[in-house]
Amino acid sequence: MWKTILRRMLIMIPEVIILSILVFLLAKAMPGDPFTGSINPKANPAQIAHLMKMNGLDGPWYSQYWNWVVHLFHGNLGNSYQYQEPVTRLIAGRATNTLWLALFTMLLTYAIALPMGVFAGRHEGKLPDTIIRFYTYVTYCIPFFVILVVGIWIFGYVLGWFPTTGSISITASGWLDTIGSRFYHILLPGIMGALFSTVNIVQYLRSEVIDAKHSDYVRTARSKGVPTKDIYRHHIFRNSLLPIAAFAGYSITGLLNGSIFTETIFSYPGMGLLFINSISFRDYTVITALVLIYGILNLLGTLLSDIILSLVDPRIRIQ
Amino acid sequence: MNKKKLVLSAVAVLAVIGLAGCSSKSSSSNSSGEKGASLKLPDHYTNTKATDKAATRNGTLHVAEPADAPFAGIGDPNLMQNNEDNDVFAPGAAAPGNINDLFIADKNNKIIDGGLANQRLDRKNNTVTITLRKGAKWSNGSPITAKDIEYTYEVIGNKDSTSQNYTADMANIKGMAAYHAGTAKTISGITYPDGETGRSVVIHCTKMTPAMKFVGNNFIAETVEPYDYIKNVPIGKLAASPQVRKNPLFTGPYKLDKIVPGESTSWSKNPYYYGKKAQIKNIVITVVSSNNIDKAIQSGKYDFTSPAGVMHGTDYKELKNLKNYKIVGQPELGYGYFGFNVGQFDTKTGKNVIDPNSKMANKSLRKAMMYAVNTDAVTKKFSYGMSWRANTLIPPIFDNYWDSSAKGFPLNIKKANKLLDDAGYKKKGKWRAQPNGKPLTIYFGAMTGTSAQAATYQDYLQQWHKIGLNVKFATGKTMEMNSFYTTLQAPKQNKIDIYNAAWAVSSEPTPTMYTETSVQNLGHFATAKNTQLINDMNSNKAWNDSYRAKIFKEWQAYMNEEAYVAPDSFSYTWAPVNTRVKGYSLKSSNVDFWSSLSLTSSSMK
Repeated sequence: MWKTILRRMLIMIPEVIILSILVFLLAKAMPGDPFTGSINPKANPAQIAHLMKMNGLDGPWYSQYWNWVVHLFHGNLGNSYQYQEPVTRLIAGRATNTLWLALFTMLLTYAIALPMGVFAGRHEGKLPDTIIRFYTYVTYCIPFFVILVVGIWIFGYVLGWFPTTGSISITASGWLDTIGSRFYHILLPGIMGALFSTVNIVQYLRSEVIDAKHSDYVRTARSKGVPTKDIYRHHIFRNSLLPIAAFAGYSITGLLNGSIFTETIFSYPGMGLLFINSISFRDYTVITALVLIYGILNLLGTLLSDIILSLVDPRIRIQ
Repeated sequence: MNKKKLVLSAVAVLAVIGLAGCSSKSSSSNSSGEKGASLKLPDHYTNTKATDKAATRNGTLHVAEPADAPFAGIGDPNLMQNNEDNDVFAPGAAAPGNINDLFIADKNNKIIDGGLANQRLDRKNNTVTITLRKGAKWSNGSPITAKDIEYTYEVIGNKDSTSQNYTADMANIKGMAAYHAGTAKTISGITYPDGETGRSVVIHCTKMTPAMKFVGNNFIAETVEPYDYIKNVPIGKLAASPQVRKNPLFTGPYKLDKIVPGESTSWSKNPYYYGKKAQIKNIVITVVSSNNIDKAIQSGKYDFTSPAGVMHGTDYKELKNLKNYKIVGQPELGYGYFGFNVGQFDTKTGKNVIDPNSKMANKSLRKAMMYAVNTDAVTKKFSYGMSWRANTLIPPIFDNYWDSSAKGFPLNIKKANKLLDDAGYKKKGKWRAQPNGKPLTIYFGAMTGTSAQAATYQDYLQQWHKIGLNVKFATGKTMEMNSFYTTLQAPKQNKIDIYNAAWAVSSEPTPTMYTETSVQNLGHFATAKNTQLINDMNSNKAWNDSYRAKIFKEWQAYMNEEAYVAPDSFSYTWAPVNTRVKGYSLKSSNVDFWSSLSLTSSSMK
């Protein structure tokens, strides 16, 4: 298995190189540059040329690409034009924010959805199942940004239970206070995110549980007199987790994707907003860095999913 | 009071000047500025309640900065590149938009004595002498020196600088061009009569210009940089340094206590400030998504939105009737406009040239199109009074220069039709053809924006169709901002014939973007008369204020007559102000905006 992982990692190298060239070319193909629409009306062409040269935007794409690669191997992803600071520092700051929120949301989602899925499957066709299915369909069909706007309005502004903007209070000081304030700020977006993203897990789990309920090994266990509680805990639950495990790898590496809606409405500085803004500002260094990171994460996600799957299901072995 | 610098170029249409530039407060008297606007906004809020001393002494003023992205967090006026930074660092200046400014100005933006420094222009010797007030200090207590004045020029002009503020105008200072090119280590034209630690500098220029009398000109920089504090940081790395991002120094009534990158800043009284002392204990400025800024204000969480923050007409509709908030505003330093593509930029000579055979070279056609659009109705419907039809290309905030009597282009379909008929644009079937008989299709360039903007554009098209002109969107739909400007900034293009955009302008309004040599002259018009008028604005005779005002008015009349660029709309910069705030005034006479503020209650409800 370790050999396979190593081989998969090696294959990723050319994939990443091709990805980086594509990203670089596509970014340059977009109309405009980081200075479009923001140059002083009194600047003359010489000054504009000076700015382009100083920012390494003057040569042909391959020389710009080469410079970028050389810098990359020195751990330097360049400076963001929009934010005027090193890309690594910028992304590190945003990634931390995004990770906190996404991790909390993911854990909460699983905490809500797993029991719901099992419960719905166990009581198939009865009232609890209907209620749960109704709940998942409703949450699935309402656009997420609508939920966020309504949520921030009711719980943030009207009731005033939660902070409505940012990732931390400016008055927080000391590590305990800081962690507390951060947690307080991710509570509302995290809870709303979790409550409204359960549909996949609940539905997959429910149908797996229903399948498993009628399988031979469960019938055998029942006939041996194993208590229902134990059947669900030891037999059905683990087997039903397979499809969820299949995308667990993506869920983990996807933690850094960020949510554009949540970040916009809660003014929460995270990765999603950074990505969108860097595109509209033609912040090339940030765009290329982010796409590269996302690309690598996706490749890792696939690998991770395979590994998790093999751990959960002993029948599956990576060869 | 005034404002400052230049401000960058155009940005989205209809007054959203959010992308770039340091806009800010500016001068206007209450009565004259808003002429033309159907809605009159007060430029101050008179709170008759008594100041609650305890609430003021111990309280926090909460300011909301409406924005959809985290701010960049560059606490240096010469390196920051957008409005948001200017807003969140505003309490470091006496008035919003004047971070680390040397001068104060009167209501016509003319520099007057009494600020951090005074300025003397010596037209005989071509020198500008700037003298700091005695005992001026930075917010960390260290003295402000002559070197701090000079260092601004180094920060802007250094060859590695990330500042976008260097302009051709600055090369007017002797030795500046050589320093900018990197061939000289110092700027030879800036000298220190009493040493670098003294109080004054003398700036030697190749020529003097009347623009130097006003804040916002590009000849003389108007800020100080804390040289001692930042001298060890290479200028190219300054914008990323902790001296500028974490603990920047200021000269105003408040000092920065803490910054959460991209989210908020908090301020307390600066004990070293030379002017009127701050009254409120703390100020906190927080970014609030413009998607829920209305809800944030309605819930009583903020005392006001940033005085220069971007608020829309739809926000006004939601907030105007709130019991515990008053709406305060003043005309914006900028305007929306229509431009026509009539020529090209000759890259060899560096000049714009009109092509007399181009589609839009006919004055009657341009004017007919302007008379056909119904700006009065469109602004009324979509901005709720926050924008109105512009009558000239100088915003009304410039009391002295704005020509209030200019008619502009009110809706007049009959006149539009007549202009076209007389010029030979005869109907051939559904549409009018060119005078030479060839079919005429006009391509309209517009930037993608809000749904209100989309509806506005549709109305323009509909109006042009009414007078028989076959006008279509360039590229078939509205254009993303970058594509829009990339297309227009090409030396020669035939994709866009008429376009709609906006300029943010400097508090010194010489329209340099319309000169013969400007690369920002997107329609490429250049006429002898226009060049003459723009030169006259800063000729020797223009040292006389009334002559200068006369030339500005002549230029406005000329532009309306030729319609190479035509006015579209003016707008308010406005904010909801909580009724517990006392002393909120955008009046030009109020040079102490932040330190004038106090609270009349500890609660915003």
